[in-house]
Amino acid sequence: MTSTSDASFQNDMVGGEHSSPPTVELIDITKRFGQIVACDRVSLTLRSGKIHGILGENGAGKSTLMKVLIGLVLPDAGQIRLHGKPVQITDPIDAATHGIAMVHQHFSLVEALTVWENVALGDVGRLDHRHVRERVAQISEHYGLHINPDDRISDLSAGMRQRVEIIKCLRRDPQVLVFDEPTSVLSPSESEFLFAALRRVVQEEGKAVALVSHKLPEILSVTDEVTIMRDGKVVRAGETAGTAASELARAMVGRDVVLRREHAAFGVMDINDKPTPSPVATTAAAPSPSPALRLVDLHITGRDGRALLSGLTLDVYPGEIVGVAGVEDNGQRTLGDVLSSLVALDSGKVEVAGIGVATGRAGAMAKAGIGVIPEDRHDSGCVLDFTVAENLFIADPDRVSRRGFMNVATMRQRAEVLIRQFSINCTGPNAPMWSLSGGNQQRVVMARELAHDPKVLVAAQPTHGLDVGAIEYMSEQLRNAAATGVGVLLISTELEEVLDLSDRIVVIYNGRIVGEMSKGHVDVERLGMLMTGAGESHE
Amino acid sequence: MSETPEPVENVTPEPGQRSKLASVSEVLTLYAICLFVALALAALLVEFASDKGSWSSVYTVILDGAVRKPGRWGLTLGIAAPILLVGLGTIVSGRAGLVNIGQEGQLVIGAGCATYVGVRIGGPGPLALALTLLCAVIGGALWAGIAGALRFWRNVPEVLTTLLMGTVAANLVGWGLRNRFLLLAPPEGRANRNQVSLPLRTDRRIPRVELFGNEFPLSIVLALVLAFVVWLVLGRTVVGFRLRMLGRNARTAQRSGVDQKRYGIGAMLVSGGFAGLAGGVMLAGGDFGDYQLVANFGAGIGFAGLLAALVARQRALLLIFIAFLFAGLRTGSGFLRATGVSARIADVVQGTLVLAMLLPPAILYLRARRRAIAATSSRT
Repeated sequence: MTSTSDASFQNDMVGGEHSSPPTVELIDITKRFGQIVACDRVSLTLRSGKIHGILGENGAGKSTLMKVLIGLVLPDAGQIRLHGKPVQITDPIDAATHGIAMVHQHFSLVEALTVWENVALGDVGRLDHRHVRERVAQISEHYGLHINPDDRISDLSAGMRQRVEIIKCLRRDPQVLVFDEPTSVLSPSESEFLFAALRRVVQEEGKAVALVSHKLPEILSVTDEVTIMRDGKVVRAGETAGTAASELARAMVGRDVVLRREHAAFGVMDINDKPTPSPVATTAAAPSPSPALRLVDLHITGRDGRALLSGLTLDVYPGEIVGVAGVEDNGQRTLGDVLSSLVALDSGKVEVAGIGVATGRAGAMAKAGIGVIPEDRHDSGCVLDFTVAENLFIADPDRVSRRGFMNVATMRQRAEVLIRQFSINCTGPNAPMWSLSGGNQQRVVMARELAHDPKVLVAAQPTHGLDVGAIEYMSEQLRNAAATGVGVLLISTELEEVLDLSDRIVVIYNGRIVGEMSKGHVDVERLGMLMTGAGESHE
Repeated sequence: MSETPEPVENVTPEPGQRSKLASVSEVLTLYAICLFVALALAALLVEFASDKGSWSSVYTVILDGAVRKPGRWGLTLGIAAPILLVGLGTIVSGRAGLVNIGQEGQLVIGAGCATYVGVRIGGPGPLALALTLLCAVIGGALWAGIAGALRFWRNVPEVLTTLLMGTVAANLVGWGLRNRFLLLAPPEGRANRNQVSLPLRTDRRIPRVELFGNEFPLSIVLALVLAFVVWLVLGRTVVGFRLRMLGRNARTAQRSGVDQKRYGIGAMLVSGGFAGLAGGVMLAGGDFGDYQLVANFGAGIGFAGLLAALVARQRALLLIFIAFLFAGLRTGSGFLRATGVSARIADVVQGTLVLAMLLPPAILYLRARRRAIAATSSRT
C-alpha cells in the first residue's frame, strides 16, 4: 500500500497547483440507446501521473463512457476537455491524434504475423520494417515488457499478447491510456506484471490512465482515484487511498436493492404485490433431503486453455429458487451450456434427482428432466423458421407422434392449449416463430420447457431484453414452477433479479461458486465483495 | 455492456401472411415471365447466330422433342427418373443443413459399383437386378459418407469434399474402365480403343413399358414412389422433423436430443445413396448407353438433379414437376440439334432455360427475407 500513500501525497501537490488543468475532463456526458440511458450526466477527470479506476457492475455504463472517450460512441450531451480545451472526438483515429489510446478487452492481433508486423498494421505509406522493429524493441526495453519484435503472435501467451497490444498503444506516445478489463484473460502473475509496467508508465512519464474493472482487489491495489458507476450514474468518486473494500462494494451494488430486500425479508410486503408462494417457507424450514440437481466439481477448459468452469459445486433442492449472482463472463454461459447438453465436462458430474447424467450427449439433460430457458433463445432455445406449434414440441416430438409419425392434428390442438395457457400472442399454432415478438418467443420457450414436467428449470437471464410486463410474467412463472416442486436455477447478471426471486443466492466467480447466502440474510456488502473476487478467501 | 434495447412490445402484428392463392399465382407469374424472357433470348440467338433453323420454330421444336413427337415423352420420362432421384437425395442433405454438391461423382461411383456387380453376379434376373441396384446405392452412399465423416469428425466443409471427391470419382471409374479386372470388357466384341464395360444381361435390366407408342423404364415409377416417401418422411415423421431441426438450428437440435453426427452423417449417406441409385438406374434403365458403362457416363445428370432440387426449393413433390421439366429441356434441346441448329447453340439455349427456372426461387427467397426483416424491424 506504499504506492497509494505516495499517490495521495502527490495528489495533494497537484491539488495545490490549480494552474495546470487535468489531462482529460468528461463533463456531464449523457448517452442514450433507445429508452435506456447508458450514461446519465457522468463526469470523470483523468489526471496525468494518476491511475483512475472505474468500477461497476455489468450494464453500469463503464464501457459506454470509455467508448465516448475514444470516439467509438458519440455522446448525446456533455463536453470533453483535453488540457482544459473543449474538443470533439468523432472516431478512434481522431482520439489517437489527440493522444488517447485504448487497450481493448479482446485482442485484435493477427496470429499468423509477427509482433512488429502486427504493430505496423494500419500504417500508411511505405513500410519501414527496420524502424518499426527498432521502435518495438525500444518500447519493450524501456518498459521492461520483454517482447521480441520477431516473435510470432501464435506462439505467445495471453499475457504476452496483451503486452503487444500495449506496445501498439504506446508506440504513438499517447497522453491518455484506457484499459478495458485488462486482467480478464490474464493469470495472477501476468496481472501483477501488467500493473507493475503500468505504474512505471504513469510515474515516469506522467501519463493518465483509466482502468475499467470489476475486480475490487485490483482497483484497491493499483489505482490512485476511483469512480464507481451504477445504472449509468456516478455514485461515488474520490481517492482510493483510505477507502475500504466494503465501502466500494456497497456503493457498486447499491442501496435501493437492500431496501427491497429488507421488506421482503420481513415479510411485511412483497415488492411486486404478488401472493408469496407458500412452499418457499416450507423449503426454507425443511429442505428436502435429496437435491433435484446436484453439480459436483465441474471442470471445463476452453479451447484457448482458459478455465471456463473450475470446480463448480452446487445443489438445487426441489421447490427452491437458487439464484446464481455474478459479474458477466465468470462461467455463467458455460454452466448454461453444460445443462443444455451443448458441451461436455472435462471432469465432475451432474446428477438429476440422484441419477447421473452424461454431459455433452445430445438431449441427455432434457431427457433427465432439466428444462432450460437459455440466455440466447435464438441460439439454443427455438427454431425461428419453424412454426410456433413445432417449436412447442421440438424437445419431445414423441408426445405428438405415433409409431414415428407426427400427428399434426394433435400437435395443433395441444399447441392451441399451450398458447392459451401461456397467453402467447400469435396468429395461431402455424405462425412462424420469427413473426413473434421477443417476449412471446420467450413465452413459447417457457411453455415448452414447463410442459415437459421438468424436475429442474434453468433460467439464464430470463428477462433480458424484455419489457416490464413480460419481466413480471416471467418472474411469476418461475415462482409458480418452484411452488410446484421444481428446483429452479436462476442464472443472472442482474443482481436485482436474483435478489428479488431467489430463496438462496450463490455467487459465481472465475468458474466456481465462491459464496452462498439465504434469502433472509443477504449481506450486500459481502455479495459485492464475492462478485468482484475480493471475498474469495471466504472459502 | 449497454446494449441497444430489444423489441419491448408484446403485441404481435400480423406477419406478412397473405392468402395461399395469391402467393401461388405470384410464383406462377414469376416463372412465366422468366421462361418467356429466356425463350425470347433463345429465339434471338437461333435467328442470328445460326445459319439453319428459324426462331419461330424454336418453341415448337423444343416442345416436339420433349413430348409431342412419337416416342419422345417416353424418353423424357427415362431421363427424368435419375434427375428426380438425385434431386431427392439433395433435398435430404439440404434439409439437414448440409451442402452436398458432389452428386455427379456419387452417381458415377454408383454406376461403377452396379456395373462391377451386375456383370458378374449370377442367379435369377430380378434378384440380380435388385442386388445390382443395391450396390449402386451402397457405392454412392459410402462415397458421400466419406465427406460426411470428414465433416463431423474433422470439421472439413462438406461443400469442398463432395465437389473434390466428384473429380476423384470420375477418374477412379475412368481408371476402372481401363482395367480388365475391374470394369473393362474383354477385347472381343468391342471396338479396340473403346473403353466400355460388358453390357448387363437382358434379364437384369429394368423392364421397359410401352404406352401409346412411348417406351420408358419402370425406374420412373420407383423414383415417383421414392419422391412420395421422401415427402412423407421429411414432413410427417419424427425423424424428418429432427432432420429439419438440425438444418435450421444445430444447437437447438443438440439440446433437443438430435445427435448431430448420427443425423448429419445419416443424411449424407441417404443423399449419396440416392445419387448412387440414379447411377444404377441409368445403367440398368437403357436411356443412357446400351446397358453398359462408358466413359463420362454421368452426362451431367448429377448436376441437373442438384439444380432441380434448388429450383424446387427442397420440396419433394414440387421436385417431381421440376425433374420432368429438366428432362424435357434435355430431350427438347437434343431435338433442336437434330433440326440443324448447331450443338453449341442448342446447349446455350438449354442453359438459358435452366437459368430462367433458377431465377424465380432466388427472387422469391430474397423477397421473403426482405419481408421477414421488415416484419422484425417494424416491431423494434
